[in-house]
Amino acid sequence: MRSTWKLIWPPLVAVVFFLTVWQLSVSLFHIESWILPSPADIARESTSNASGLWAHTMATLRLTLIGFPIGTGVGLIVALLLHLLPWAKRAFYPLIILSQNVPSIALGPLLIIWFGFGLLPKIVLITLVCFFPVAVAAMGGLAQSDQVMMNYMKMAGASKWQIFTKLELPSSIPALFSGVKISATYAVMGAVVAEWIGADKGIGYYMLLQKSAYRTDRMFVAIVIIVLLSLVLFAIIALLEKWLVRWKPRRNS
Amino acid sequence: MSQATQIEQRTTEVISSPEAHTAPPALEVSGISKSFTHRRRETNVLNNVSLKVEQQEFVSIVGPSGCGKSTLFHMIGGLVKPDAGTILMNGKIVTGQRGEISYMPQQPALFPWRTIEDNVLLAGEIKGTLRDGAREEARHWLAKVGLSGFEHAYPHMLSGGMQQRAAFLRALLAPQELMLLDEPFSALDALTRSEMQRWLLELWEENRRSVLFITHNIEEALLLSNRIYVFSGRPGSILHTVDVPFPRPRRDEITDSPEFLKLKRQLSQWMREEQAKNGKQPSK
Ligand SMILES: Nc1ncnc2c1ncn2[C@@H]1O[C@H](COP(=O)(O)OP(=O)(O)OP(=O)(O)O)[C@@H](O)[C@H]1O
Ligand SMILES: [Mg+2]
Repeated sequence: MRSTWKLIWPPLVAVVFFLTVWQLSVSLFHIESWILPSPADIARESTSNASGLWAHTMATLRLTLIGFPIGTGVGLIVALLLHLLPWAKRAFYPLIILSQNVPSIALGPLLIIWFGFGLLPKIVLITLVCFFPVAVAAMGGLAQSDQVMMNYMKMAGASKWQIFTKLELPSSIPALFSGVKISATYAVMGAVVAEWIGADKGIGYYMLLQKSAYRTDRMFVAIVIIVLLSLVLFAIIALLEKWLVRWKPRRNS
Repeated sequence: MSQATQIEQRTTEVISSPEAHTAPPALEVSGISKSFTHRRRETNVLNNVSLKVEQQEFVSIVGPSGCGKSTLFHMIGGLVKPDAGTILMNGKIVTGQRGEISYMPQQPALFPWRTIEDNVLLAGEIKGTLRDGAREEARHWLAKVGLSGFEHAYPHMLSGGMQQRAAFLRALLAPQELMLLDEPFSALDALTRSEMQRWLLELWEENRRSVLFITHNIEEALLLSNRIYVFSGRPGSILHTVDVPFPRPRRDEITDSPEFLKLKRQLSQWMREEQAKNGKQPSK
């Protein structure tokens, strides 16, 4: 308990300090609230408009929770397939690395042309965004098992499948999770962008509405919600990791 | 349980046969050579090595660091192919074949996501030979090597010496008859080490498996072995073969006997000479 507190308080102090500076500078320099609202304004706005925001938040959350597992799953399956088929890996791995440079989000408008305005293009977009970090991390993890353990498995007469299930897969779990954590935050971002491109509800849609009304305070409320969604998803994944990787020595620093 | 009956059968076989050596050796390595090429530079690691482990014999290898002892084990285990030479087990050619030996690597290499108990059972799991009583047997052995209470611990919670003992058990409980032990006691302090030596001596004299054992410790080799091969520096080749004459069962006291001390002095002398020769050559 003590040690978690020790971990939490420095960033907490930093956040409080940052908010204080923000609040003070807004009132000291008389910054107009449509340019930069103060933290207090944002807090007030978020409570006064809670019910409407709730529906939008749920819409974005729903989109995220559909797209994220699909994207992560596809990334995982592709990584496993490429790992088990070395010739396919040689052919596709460079392409996957290269295609990481294509900003998946920029494909949004194209997806609308191909798949219309429904749920499908949004799910495809989130899948694309989540796919790469998971696939790349999983492939890296699977290929980097300990050499001495690998030698042991081979000399003990382990089959390819046994080596995969008893050595490569478990030793790739930590790397895999770092990919999944990245893709969790990408998933929320992907959902919001998908809503910008075409939607009639969700936090992304709400932001567009408020933009045309110059309601900067409400846009900030939306940003806070996005951050919170990402954090919650990230924390759930981190907890899952902690439970699955409980065999790992605790880092003491 | 089944291991015990197997061992009994083996013993009676040997006793009842008129000549103990009619059975082919557990391991026969003949004319093994090996070079590695790394960044276009060729290193000759082993040069025409031939050695033998008869059924139920304890054989040791001593030699300077880097002379290819671990590499020899990798070849016997089928991990590395020799450039020349053959490896026979029980009269059959097994060069390049895997899964024929029980192995303890130089680094413990316990699987960090497995509990100690699951680690110890790994070899049997791979070979598909785990029986109902295997878990109880593993726990019984863990207690014997001072690891009771750690059955469900993960390897990182153990000290280096405890990890080595667990890795040793993993080899001991493996279904294969021939054991290759690569410096099994190197991470132990002097006291634990001599305790483990005595324990291994007793255990081996009860069970008589065929063992090939790498060590840097001459006293350890003399105490445990029927025969010792002294390796030269790289490229490793066999300089001397020493048959250790002491009768069994051996007790600790033999380490004080004049004959033991004489052999020890002789072996140390050879080792020093090799080390000195290596020192003069520019390393690599
Ligand atoms: N896969 C490999 N590729 C290239 N060189 C190798 C390889 N394996 C071993 N060597 C080299 O072979 C030599 C012998 O190594 P080995 O590990 O067999 O020595 P060793 O006798 O076990 O030494 P030690 O007593 O220190 O354990 C070393 O110079 C090592 O660098
Ligand atoms: Mg070695």
